[in-house]
Amino acid sequence: MSIEFLDPTHESQSGASAAAKRLASLSGATIAIVSNGKKGTKPFFDAFERELSDRYGVARVVRLTKSNYSAPVEPGLLAESGRWQALIAGIGD
Amino acid sequence: MLRSKRHTVEDLAAAQEFFHSRGWTDGLPVVPPTPAAVQACLEWVGMPPGQLIGVEPVRQRAISAEKLAVNAVMAGCLPMHFPVVVAAFTAMLREPFLLHGATASTGGCAILIVVNGPVRKDLGMSGGFNALGSSDRATTAIGRAIRLILCNLLDARPGDVDRSTLGHPGKISYCVAEDEENTPWRPLADERGSPAHASSVTVMAAGAPRQFMNEWTTRPEEILDTCVAEIKAVMRHYSIWPGNYAVVLPPQLRAHFDAAGWSKAEVREYVFRHARIKRREWAECGKGSVVGENGEREYAALREPDDLLVIAAGGPAGGFGAVIPPWYGSKSNAVTLAIGACVDCEV
Repeated sequence: MSIEFLDPTHESQSGASAAAKRLASLSGATIAIVSNGKKGTKPFFDAFERELSDRYGVARVVRLTKSNYSAPVEPGLLAESGRWQALIAGIGD
Repeated sequence: MLRSKRHTVEDLAAAQEFFHSRGWTDGLPVVPPTPAAVQACLEWVGMPPGQLIGVEPVRQRAISAEKLAVNAVMAGCLPMHFPVVVAAFTAMLREPFLLHGATASTGGCAILIVVNGPVRKDLGMSGGFNALGSSDRATTAIGRAIRLILCNLLDARPGDVDRSTLGHPGKISYCVAEDEENTPWRPLADERGSPAHASSVTVMAAGAPRQFMNEWTTRPEEILDTCVAEIKAVMRHYSIWPGNYAVVLPPQLRAHFDAAGWSKAEVREYVFRHARIKRREWAECGKGSVVGENGEREYAALREPDDLLVIAAGGPAGGFGAVIPPWYGSKSNAVTLAIGACVDCEV
């Protein structure tokens, strides 16, 4: 005898987030990096910042750090996001 | 009307493989969540299928009563168990609990659910023998339901959102009922502000239980010194940061507290004053490189006495207690909620 049952997963994928439009070029852009705040992110993002500037011509890198690496980013941290062309969420350990 | 997608398979064995092959289980067999079984859960709590239990804050996922019920049935819950599942998950959605962090962290905690009030007896929850190790049907199924909900509704499967390095066996099911009948102590939920005589749940992002034993004293101070030594071990070996710790005390140890007239408040106060280490102690256990110049700085396990959750539970014989450490300091805070309370109700 067959069994009919219900799907246990979150079927609706609608959420508040969606992939942002890609930039045509990084040259001259202001890029923000939001670190989760873990110690290991600093040397990694230092190197990453140099790469963005030296290789891709990024004009300015804004470095931000969450106060709690286990929690969502606090809204105030992104207050000036309108001035940035892109934001990178950086997770490190 | 139930809205979940429906699947049909030939028989029970095919159903098990269907679930396992999609990563919808914890590795154990599940009860197929038939429409009738899910509807029975919803009717028990008087909720329509689409009732919003809450919204997971990171990915903004709306969690419906129907989806909780589907996973509760899979875990082996009966309809009468479902109100506890709803209350526990509602409590987990409260901001202080920090649900995403607690379920995604490499720290690998599990969700400890402590049940208080008349519902314990209604559901045949024990709080006695094997209290922390699946003592009865209801606690086992309810704890498992929370795990399946996290896996299937928030993708907190190992290696997906759940990034636990080790995890611990409590992730399968971690639910305990307080042994309220065999203690003069006030129930945990009562002390944490839940309405008197109400049934309530307390959820905590918790590490594995660390058992301690002292059968060679009748003095509460000495029993708690053993308990405090275990907490200090956590601070030395795992995390130095303060937060909610739980202490589980069985009847044999509680008898000494009762004889001496100690309340839970006095237990909390004693632990608060004594569970402290100096940062330099880290050098004794391989962490000397992070002691720095703050070696004499003192760290307390608790921010305040009320951080300690004192739980009466355990079998009648044996001087075995347990310390249950927080996931990671105060990043997640324990939440107590009356069963049947609405999402926005404050206890």
